[in-house]
Amino acid sequence: MSSFIKEWQANAELLLRHGLYDPADEHDACGVGLIAAIDGKPRREVVVAGIEALKAVWHRGAVDADGKTGDGAGIHVEIPQGFFKEHIARTGHVAGGGRLAVGMVFLPKTDLGAQETCRGIVETEILNFGYEIYGWRQVPIDASVIGEKANATRPEIEQIMIANDDHDHDSEGGGGNGDAGDAKFELDLYIIRRRIERRVLEAHINDFYICSLSCRSIIYKGMFLAEQIDDFYPDLKDDRFESSFAIYHQRYSTNTFPTWRLAQPFRMLAHNGEINTIRGNINWMKCHEPRMASALFREHGEDIKPVIQSGSSDSAALDAAFEVLVRAGRSATLVKTLLIPEAWSKEVAMPEAHRALYSYSNTVMEPWDGPAAIAATDGRWVLAGMDRNGLRPLRYAVSSRGLLVVGSETGMVPLPETEIIEKGRVGPGRMIAVDLVEGRLYHDREIKDMLAADKPYREWVRNITELRHQPGADAALEARYEGAALRWRQHAAGYSMEMLEMVLAPMIEDAKEGTGSMGDDTPLAVLSKGYRGLHHFFRQQFSQVTNPPIDSLRESRVMSLNTRLGNLTNVLDEDASQTDILLLSSPVLTNADFIDMRERMGDSAAVIDCGFAADGDENALRDAIARIRREAEDAVRGGSVHLILDDSHIGEDRAAIPMILAAGAVHAHLVRNGLRTYTSLNIRSAECLDVHYIAVLIGVGATTVNPYLAQDSIIDRHRRGLVGKLSLEEAIARYKQAADQGLLKIMSKIGISVVSSYRGGYNFEAIGLSRTLVADIFPGMPSRISGIGLAGIQRKVLEKHGTERGVDAEPLPIGGLYRYRAGGETHAFAPALIHMLQSAVGSDSYQLYRKYSQAVADLPPVNLRDLLDFRPLGEAIPVEDVESITGIRRRFLSGSMSLGALSVEAHETLAIAMNRMGAMSCSGEGGEDAERNQPRANGDNANSSVKQIASARFGVSAAYLNNCSEIEIKIAQGAKPGEGGQLPGSKVTAEIAALRNATAGVTLISPPPHHDIYSIEDLAQLIYDLKQINPVARVSVKLVAQAGIGTVAAGVVKAKADVVMISGHSGGTGASPLSSIKYAGAPWEMGLSEVNQVLTLNRLRHTVKLRADGGIRTGRDIVIAAMLGAEEFGIATTSLVAMGCILVRQCHSNTCPVGICTQDPKLREKFAGTPEKVINLFSFIAEEVREILASLGARSLLEIVGRSDLLAQVSRGSPYLDDLDLNPLLVQADPGEYTRYCSLEGRNEVPDTLDEQIIEDVATSLLAGEKKQLAYSIRNTHRAIGARLSSMITRRFGMDVLKPGHITARLRGSAGQSLGAFLVQGVKLEVFGDANDYVGKGLSGGEIVVRPTVSSPLAAHKNTIIGNTVLYGAIAGRLFAAGQAGERFCVRNSGAVAVIEGCGSNGCEYMTGGIAVILGAVGNNFAAGMTGGMAFVHMSETKMRQRINQDTVVFQRIESAHWRALLRSLIVEHGEQTDSRRAQRLLENWDVEQDRFWQICPKEMIDHLEHPLSDVALAATQLAGTGD
Amino acid sequence: MSSRLLQFTSRDRQTPEKRGVDERRGDFAEIFQDFLPQGATEQAARCSQCGIPYCQVHCPLGNNIPDWLMLTASGRLEEAYGLASATNTFPEICGRICPQDRLCEGNCVIEKDFDAVTIGAVESYIVETAFAEGWVKPPVPRLEREQSVGIIGGGPAGLAAADRLRRLGYRVAVYDRHDRIGGLLIYGIPNFKLDKHVVARRVDLLEEGGIAFHTDFEVGRQESLEALRARHDALLIATGVYDARHVTLPGSGLANIVPALEYLIASNRKGLGDPVEAFDQGGLDAKAKHVVVIGGGDTGMDCVRTAVRQGAERITCLYRRDRDNMPGSQREVGHALEEGVHFEWLAAPEAFLGTDAVGGVRALRMRLGAPDAEGRQAPKPIPDSAFTLPCDLAILALGFDAQDMSAAFEEPALKLTRHTTVKITERSMMTSLDGVFAAGDIVRGASLVVWAIKDGRDAADSIDAYLLVKSANGRADVVAAE
Repeated sequence: MSSFIKEWQANAELLLRHGLYDPADEHDACGVGLIAAIDGKPRREVVVAGIEALKAVWHRGAVDADGKTGDGAGIHVEIPQGFFKEHIARTGHVAGGGRLAVGMVFLPKTDLGAQETCRGIVETEILNFGYEIYGWRQVPIDASVIGEKANATRPEIEQIMIANDDHDHDSEGGGGNGDAGDAKFELDLYIIRRRIERRVLEAHINDFYICSLSCRSIIYKGMFLAEQIDDFYPDLKDDRFESSFAIYHQRYSTNTFPTWRLAQPFRMLAHNGEINTIRGNINWMKCHEPRMASALFREHGEDIKPVIQSGSSDSAALDAAFEVLVRAGRSATLVKTLLIPEAWSKEVAMPEAHRALYSYSNTVMEPWDGPAAIAATDGRWVLAGMDRNGLRPLRYAVSSRGLLVVGSETGMVPLPETEIIEKGRVGPGRMIAVDLVEGRLYHDREIKDMLAADKPYREWVRNITELRHQPGADAALEARYEGAALRWRQHAAGYSMEMLEMVLAPMIEDAKEGTGSMGDDTPLAVLSKGYRGLHHFFRQQFSQVTNPPIDSLRESRVMSLNTRLGNLTNVLDEDASQTDILLLSSPVLTNADFIDMRERMGDSAAVIDCGFAADGDENALRDAIARIRREAEDAVRGGSVHLILDDSHIGEDRAAIPMILAAGAVHAHLVRNGLRTYTSLNIRSAECLDVHYIAVLIGVGATTVNPYLAQDSIIDRHRRGLVGKLSLEEAIARYKQAADQGLLKIMSKIGISVVSSYRGGYNFEAIGLSRTLVADIFPGMPSRISGIGLAGIQRKVLEKHGTERGVDAEPLPIGGLYRYRAGGETHAFAPALIHMLQSAVGSDSYQLYRKYSQAVADLPPVNLRDLLDFRPLGEAIPVEDVESITGIRRRFLSGSMSLGALSVEAHETLAIAMNRMGAMSCSGEGGEDAERNQPRANGDNANSSVKQIASARFGVSAAYLNNCSEIEIKIAQGAKPGEGGQLPGSKVTAEIAALRNATAGVTLISPPPHHDIYSIEDLAQLIYDLKQINPVARVSVKLVAQAGIGTVAAGVVKAKADVVMISGHSGGTGASPLSSIKYAGAPWEMGLSEVNQVLTLNRLRHTVKLRADGGIRTGRDIVIAAMLGAEEFGIATTSLVAMGCILVRQCHSNTCPVGICTQDPKLREKFAGTPEKVINLFSFIAEEVREILASLGARSLLEIVGRSDLLAQVSRGSPYLDDLDLNPLLVQADPGEYTRYCSLEGRNEVPDTLDEQIIEDVATSLLAGEKKQLAYSIRNTHRAIGARLSSMITRRFGMDVLKPGHITARLRGSAGQSLGAFLVQGVKLEVFGDANDYVGKGLSGGEIVVRPTVSSPLAAHKNTIIGNTVLYGAIAGRLFAAGQAGERFCVRNSGAVAVIEGCGSNGCEYMTGGIAVILGAVGNNFAAGMTGGMAFVHMSETKMRQRINQDTVVFQRIESAHWRALLRSLIVEHGEQTDSRRAQRLLENWDVEQDRFWQICPKEMIDHLEHPLSDVALAATQLAGTGD
Repeated sequence: MSSRLLQFTSRDRQTPEKRGVDERRGDFAEIFQDFLPQGATEQAARCSQCGIPYCQVHCPLGNNIPDWLMLTASGRLEEAYGLASATNTFPEICGRICPQDRLCEGNCVIEKDFDAVTIGAVESYIVETAFAEGWVKPPVPRLEREQSVGIIGGGPAGLAAADRLRRLGYRVAVYDRHDRIGGLLIYGIPNFKLDKHVVARRVDLLEEGGIAFHTDFEVGRQESLEALRARHDALLIATGVYDARHVTLPGSGLANIVPALEYLIASNRKGLGDPVEAFDQGGLDAKAKHVVVIGGGDTGMDCVRTAVRQGAERITCLYRRDRDNMPGSQREVGHALEEGVHFEWLAAPEAFLGTDAVGGVRALRMRLGAPDAEGRQAPKPIPDSAFTLPCDLAILALGFDAQDMSAAFEEPALKLTRHTTVKITERSMMTSLDGVFAAGDIVRGASLVVWAIKDGRDAADSIDAYLLVKSANGRADVVAAE
């Protein structure tokens, strides 16, 4: 097995050096929690419960193929002083009276020299601080319980024990176990640890790691399965291991290489989730470091830097930042507030004191943003906290015996229901904590009150100068440039008519970015012959799987563009100087905003001219960049608190430095010199016009951006009367609004809510920028394919700068980037090719197809693959010897396009054609008519063999999921990864509404994330659920290429996916924002090859099929994709072309003139596609593949899968590029004994759940049609209860055939996740206890009841009984829960009826049908994006107004007898089902209580209601009716 | 703004008002009125704003049609004119005489099911508005250059080159053998398609921009090519093709069998008020005659419709293929039919009958054979199908061949192709003589005006590149044709 280690390391080394793999991309997630004794007294019970809890979250981690190697688990407990002192005594020493410290140390295992060096360093540093060492203890372990891989990387695990002999003569210590003495000891141990870490690093020793070094607590962790922890570390079984707290963690990593140090908990916290802003946070931490100082660190201030060690995971980095802030004297509760604040700026109900606390926090520290459930301790406080958006589950229970139990799931530590006095959840941005010293439990409000009162924050924040936009100021401004001068500058800045009309005009007219459709078929910027602004080289990063994107429109409450400017002080301080800053509500400035800001800055700002001589030598640009860096540095050193980079001083002889370069160069230079936090960096740019450009500027470090020429262009349009009736002020305001919204959207794509954490985070991937340039100007930004450097950029800028030779009157260039224009950019779907292909498939002419294919090959390079060619495997062989067309065609898919994007005719034609070939079509996101499940009279089968499940879950029912051979989880799509969508009501026809369980004419919204996938273990859960609801279908996961996708894919495979699909950036769309089509996602060549490399590295490749799609047009593309690792291929746009698509690119306008992408019946008549044409296309491509294979000497496609050694780069792009080297794509990892393709038969199976038992118990009676009542005890490890049973019923009878209540299962205990997922009619689950997340996911007619046990003393409605994301995508059925639900209750419910007693934030989000009755308060942002269904909430008016999101709904008291009766009947039913005391009380006082309910109705539904909201209105209309 | 577009699903195609048949038969005035503003806006708004604008793809000039349609639909006519004139030197001429049904409109994406956008009419509307508003400016350069270019031939190719070169600052002189500048635009195309004032208006602008015109100037007679080469830094040959193709049949030598161009020039000259002896003597006047026009191209259509206006008794067009296979614009065929012209499709002349002058044409019926590689069906005579048409004037519209310019210019070094067109290097458009370029029909053979404009513009760019290098290093980098 050590061969695995060697091979892995060799492979990793190869890939790291030459390939696409970067370990920094790795992600982890997990289960987390803590147990605390509220009285602060150590108990054995706490440790035992911690270990017990770990054993109940195994399913949140992943297991290696050996069944033993886990991704890591650990526990953090108090040091049992007695235990260690006894050990010391046994070694013949006498332990002193004070607390001894224990260091838990991982030492190099095999390199004994290094091991000894490490010991030496550890001892020296401790002794240097004047402490005495008792000695080393070899920690007893049982290596037999861990897997071979884990064992092979196992370090030498030892403990070093240190005496606190210092405390005895510490004047403050006062002797004994004095707190102050311990505090100083603890602080010294921190500094000692940091010094040791530094020295070990300097000694170039890798396998050394200190888990903990403390006199208070100790961490046991390692690469075992969670349930093995106390077998591996028998210490933990010792009864002397008592603790007042235990923090525990189970890890799920995207990596398979067992890395011991990455197991959690870390020194202060354990974290579940992912810090999306990690790059920005680490960069800013570096920026803060130079000024970071605390008296507490005395002369050792430098020893603690760098605060974050390189190679840290996001959680480890967060821990390091958390620790330094705590060590500098803050409480853990305050540090949580600083680092992971609540969303406060738009929170109207927040007390003023809290607001001041947050406002202060905001001036000090950039939030660490992203899904985060943390359990942390500083020695005194033990806390559990949640991110601002509530994206991880964190449930807690308080027992009557004084225990606080918090964890990712309820039921992890089984407590007797009779002893539980409180059950709750930690809400968004909230905390729950125990003060171990005081011995008291604190809830969130109490903690915040205490923190807010601690310092005069309200006074401090008065120093903040807020700059507000002055209404009318912009309209009063003269244009800086107009007429010919404007035209010239537009030319010089690279503007085209297309930019003004397609990008700028919609921003003004609609106050949002323009929409486009279909994919991007233009060359990558680095391959283009024309001028492309520098922003074209930046691809936006986005969230997929390991963290969720945010909906910046419907969840705007958590988003913030607040921008602070000025001199940022020492982050370790706590005083009024930190708030002496300027504050802007957005980093995007209008010209008037800029002038205002400039005036406020006065002498404290320095302006730097960003031009360079147009007639200079080849180093002119390089010299200019050096100059502006020098000037910036001089200015800051000279005391400038603000820098302004300005490119307006250009002329015929002076060109502008691309401002992205200027901003990046200055930012990076200041960071390197420790000067960045002394100044703001403000950009005035002519070239900057669209949202992507703005985002890039901020992403590379700009503080503010003023797109001044865009504004002058708006003034020009206004003057020419092109903005309709808008006033100039309005026009500019709308542009700014569009820019702000666009920026928020780009941030939200990667899951970042606050701009201060996005700034300088380089959340991009460079494609085709020189590596040297990136390293110098954008350090840390991924750039895997080198390309244009400064010399090339200078050349391009000057080419453009000089185009204006003597011709005044010529209009701006026409463009051609978004749509084909003669003389403009190359488009891969060139007009002549389309006609040629259509003739070929129409006339069944392979000859003509070959002509087409040759013409595609002859195009100027568009994609990276166009620079590659084949190397033969051997002698050419006759084509007849190659596998058949039929065989090859089975590997083809027609893409995943929904009915709704496509017309029924086109959608069915594709399905029929693919089925005839034995190939695959995918339903897309939008349901599919059940009629298509049965073959037609002529033998055609229109059923899509792949069914898609996307974020909106449209039409995803038990029946839908059982009529397919594969289920595709669409995580992202190439044209708009990280974004949701919106189908406006005008396009929701009756047919579409029926398929999607919606109302015709009412808007449908697709959320950006799957609300049941915020993290990798969530995906594992969804895959688990799907494999339950369909016992045979494979599950595929569709990802979009980007840097780091390899590790994501590895995690996906570990989650038991059967197919991973890699989409390229060029994939099509029915409607997307233009900047998303252009700037998000990477080419599939890069993504595919990275995934293939990393999966091979991790020995996972052979267990999964790899699939590629995005702009595949010919057999050549297929063979290249195969060589890069794909074995299945999606061809979508080209198959549309075969059906008649001519790239009109108006899919979003519903005017497709060829009837493909439209719902207009008149246009659908024009559809001229046939299955034959589609079959011809795929057959031609397959035939071409055969010919290529024959010429290479390969007999089958599988033979060349993953054979990137058969590809050679034949072109290196333009001569002025730095080396455009594609070799990283072509590096091969060694697969060892496994195949380079999927050799798995069937699918990757998942463990069984309770249903195995249920099915056994009902099988015979169900067949006989008998009713059945069952009873079981359950635990949280029983997941997706009812799904497998529902599949069986659906397959045998149909999902809506059995009578309700046919099978009833009574379940006692805490139900695992996805209780009753896809439960069908006829099945009822009654839980006595509680349930976790995803209850009733995709509910398809079944009934779920969750209620406390009869013996529970809880007031049910004040406690949490079901978890987050309940009834997600439910279609039909009923849910009654006697208690509160977590966040996002009823999200995307489209038909289920539910009664609960309260819920967390974002309730009823995106709901389109069904009824939600909530008998208590709801959380923030209720009913956001709700466009259908109805909700009733019992809550005060003040709270209702604060918490509802009124964008799409109205709310009112109940004014109609119909609705009143319905509400009452549901409450009655709730009472009957759950024995709810709440229901009983409401009904007893119904006369009063009925008027305390609110009715929430979507605005768009009002006209569609069968029963109007108000009887008065009804009577009025009836009256009016009779009056006529 | 695009919300105002894409109206094709709800709005039908409409062309500008067409004058009634009776009215237009009586004069030579243009048959279409200009669009009214409302009509132009509404029709422009039918555009689908395609991702691939096939209208542009099939426009020889690559006009940015969807863009100026969008601008027109939005009422932004000055910008629309800016765009239209950026790719086309004479948009007002193309708007009138381009066979749009074979080019832009014929390839309009919505043509198949909804009828094409009226691109040509909108183009005319834009430009006429521009003229009316004074947006059309003479080609005055921002800075003058010392170098000069001589252009031989004042037709569309030569004028397009002249305009562009002048804008770039060169001194430009145009030499034409006729007494008016305009070439076929003046003498070949009848007024009812292109009123002469449209051409004259443009020529005036060019002159105003500083282009020197030398009429009645025939190279080889007034001055040698050698002399012109010496005077100018570069020359452009853009003489067009004028030699009519003949047909040799029994009776070909009879009187009143005339080539199309001779007939059209005579008619145009009459229209311009020039004395034309042959016309006045009746030989070229169709009045009260039985006219037979042989050939189905655009020139043939011009002839039959001119004959209508001259008051012919009966006009018949003979064409050997069927209507679908006619090379000419279907739209023109339609106009001719409306105006009462008879067509004998699938018929070819076998002999001209008569003693001195022609009195009749005997023709054979044809059928179409199997399509060849390019899909074109060769006509085959049907035996024993002869029929005779009475004929007092037979007009041969069978196409044109290039004159031997090497001979005409007395310059043996000027190389020709086997079709006797002038040979050029494709990319530079330079002939075998250094600094002498060629463009238009004399290079590509008889073709459309729009192609001539395209060639003229391209030649101008080549000449510009050539002259830039020449002025920079005193020698040319551009390689002459073999």
